[in-house]
Amino acid sequence: MIDFNWILRGRCYLLGDDVPHADGVIPQQFIIDRETDPQVLAPHLFALTDPDFVKRCKPGDIVVAGRNFGVGQKSTGYIAMQALGLGLLCESMPTQGYRGAIHAGLRLLANCSGVTQVCQNGDELEVNFVTGLLINHSQAKTHEYVPMPAALQEIVAQGGGEAWLKTWALEHVASSSSKKV
Amino acid sequence: MSQTAIEKVLSRISGRPKLQAGDVVNPVPDLIMIHDGVVKSSKVMLDKIGIRKLSSPEKVMMVSDHDVLYGSAKAAERGSFNRQAAKDWGVGQFYDVGQGGHGHIFPMEEGQVLPGMFYFDNDTHATNAGAVGAFGIRLGLEISTVLATGSTWFEVPKTVRICIKGQLRERVLARDIGFFLAKLIKLGAIPVNLDNRVLEYCGETQQFSLGERVALCSSPTEMRAVGIFIPPSQQILKYCQTHAKKSFEAVYSDTDAAFESEHELNISQLGPQVVKPGAVSNSVDVSEAEGVKIDHAFIGSCGSGMYDDLLNAASVLKGRRVANGVRLFIVPGSQKSMNRLVQEGLMQIFLDAGALVLPPGCGPCNDAVVGPLAAQECSISTATNSNAGRFGSREAKLYLGSPLTVAASATTGQITDPRTMDVDAQLIERAKVAYD
Repeated sequence: MIDFNWILRGRCYLLGDDVPHADGVIPQQFIIDRETDPQVLAPHLFALTDPDFVKRCKPGDIVVAGRNFGVGQKSTGYIAMQALGLGLLCESMPTQGYRGAIHAGLRLLANCSGVTQVCQNGDELEVNFVTGLLINHSQAKTHEYVPMPAALQEIVAQGGGEAWLKTWALEHVASSSSKKV
Repeated sequence: MSQTAIEKVLSRISGRPKLQAGDVVNPVPDLIMIHDGVVKSSKVMLDKIGIRKLSSPEKVMMVSDHDVLYGSAKAAERGSFNRQAAKDWGVGQFYDVGQGGHGHIFPMEEGQVLPGMFYFDNDTHATNAGAVGAFGIRLGLEISTVLATGSTWFEVPKTVRICIKGQLRERVLARDIGFFLAKLIKLGAIPVNLDNRVLEYCGETQQFSLGERVALCSSPTEMRAVGIFIPPSQQILKYCQTHAKKSFEAVYSDTDAAFESEHELNISQLGPQVVKPGAVSNSVDVSEAEGVKIDHAFIGSCGSGMYDDLLNAASVLKGRRVANGVRLFIVPGSQKSMNRLVQEGLMQIFLDAGALVLPPGCGPCNDAVVGPLAAQECSISTATNSNAGRFGSREAKLYLGSPLTVAASATTGQITDPRTMDVDAQLIERAKVAYD
C-alpha cells in the first residue's frame, strides 16, 4: 500500500445533480452486456454526453459531481473511470454504486457536501483521498471532506475487489489443499 | 448506550459492542445466501484466482429460484453447473429446483431466517428478512468475497422510522401501503432518502401478520433501503419459535436510539393502489387506472408470494373465470405453500378459474424467463417493480397492484378495484391467520 498514490492532481470536470449511471456515465449497452473489461469500457466514459471527454482527460483529473451521482444500481462506468486514472468527488451517490466503485478500485470521496459550489470546470484541483483534503489551486482555497474510510483503503490500494482477493488468496490458499501455481 | 436494531446486530457479529451508524466493520454473517443466477460467475472467478475452498461452506445456502423451469438448453446447463458447484464447494444447504422455493420466502417460513439474524446475499430482496426482525444485505457479485473470506466491509447504516397510524380498511393490503409510501417519498411528502438506510416500521405494526410484513418490505427496497426492520410481535415470535431450526434472540431498537428521522404514515383512509409503468413510486389510487385493458397478470414474487397472498387471490377467483384473452400466472413462494394449495383446496379454485400455476420461485419477475410479454401488451402483477423490460419487451406496459387487485383485474380483463366485487369472506379471514 505504501506505493499507492492517494493524492491526485489534475483538472476539474464538473457535473450537476442526478447524473444517471446508464447513458449518463457509460452507455447502457455495456451495463446490459455485463462488460467488466477496463480496456473495453475506458473509451466510452461519458460517451453519450461528452464524446470527446476520453480524448481530453488525463490521469489525475477529478470528476466533481453533485447529488445522487451515477443514480441506479450499477457501477460499470467506475471501472472505466479507474482505468483512466481519474478520481471522483461527489455530494452523494447510491450506496450500491459506491460499493461498486470501491470494488473497481476508484479513488473517490462520496460525501462532499457543497463541492460543486467551490469548484469550476477546469480548475486545478489536488485531492488527498486519505485525509479528505481538497486544494483548489485555481481559487487558492482548501476544503475538508469525510476521508475514505480506513477499512476500504486497502481494497482501493490493491486495485479493487478482485485484485484484493488475489492477494488474499496468495496468503491464505497455500495452506489449503489447492495447488499453488 | 442506546442503539438501533441494526447497530445491535452488527455489534454482536462484529465483536464491537458500541457500534454506531457510520462505523465500518467486517461482520461475520450468520448465513450466506447465493441464488442460481450468480453461482456460475462467482465460481468461475474464484476458480480463476485459485480459491476452491469456501471460508465457511456450512453457512452457505444455495437456492434455485430465479430460473426453475429451464426454458432453454443454456438454462439446463447452468442448473447442471450449479449442482456440481454445490458439491465442489460442499455448501451446507443446497436447494435444487423443486426444493424450498423462493430464497426470500421459504427460509423464513421454515425457521432458518430468524429474529436478530444477519446474513449476506447476492440479491437485492434479501431485505425481506426484516419481516421477522432479521437483516439480509445485498452484495451483488461481491458475495464472492464473502464466500471466499467469510466477510466483507459494511458501513453501519442509519435508521429512519416510519410510524404506522391506523388500521387497513377491507380489501386494502400491505402491498398497497408500500406503493403509497414509495409515492410519498418520491413526491417529498415524506422527506426522506432511503438510500443506505434501514427503514424501521414502528407504531401500529402489531396488526401485521408474517405475510403482510413480507409485503411491507418490498417497495422500500425498490427505493434503495439497505434493510427493512419490523419489530417482531408476540405472534411473529411464536411462529418463529415453533419453526426455528436453531436458537435465536430477537433484537429491538432502543426507544432513544439515534434515528435519523421519524415520519408518520396514516393508513386508515388508504384505498387500493395501482403502480403505473416505470417505477414503484408511480402509484395512484386504483380509480385513476381502472379500465386499462390487460393481457397478462401475475401473482407471486418475493413481494407477494406468501400463503396469505394466495388465499387473498383465491377469495376473488373462487367461482370466477380469468377473462378471455388474459393469461394469469400464479407462483407460490415455496414448496410448502404449493402443498398447502393442494391440501386446502385452493389449487382447484385456481384451476377452475383457468389460471396457470407455476412452480415456486421468482416466476416472470426474474427478467421474464417464463411468462414474458410482447410489445404493445399490458400486464398487472404483484412483481417488485414496473420498470420497462422487466417482463420481456421494453414496449410492454407494466402495472402493479395487490394480489386482490391483480386477481380482480384478471377476471374482468381490465384494471379493476377489488372493492367492486364480492369476494369469499371465509378465504379472506383465512388469509389473516395463514401463519398463525
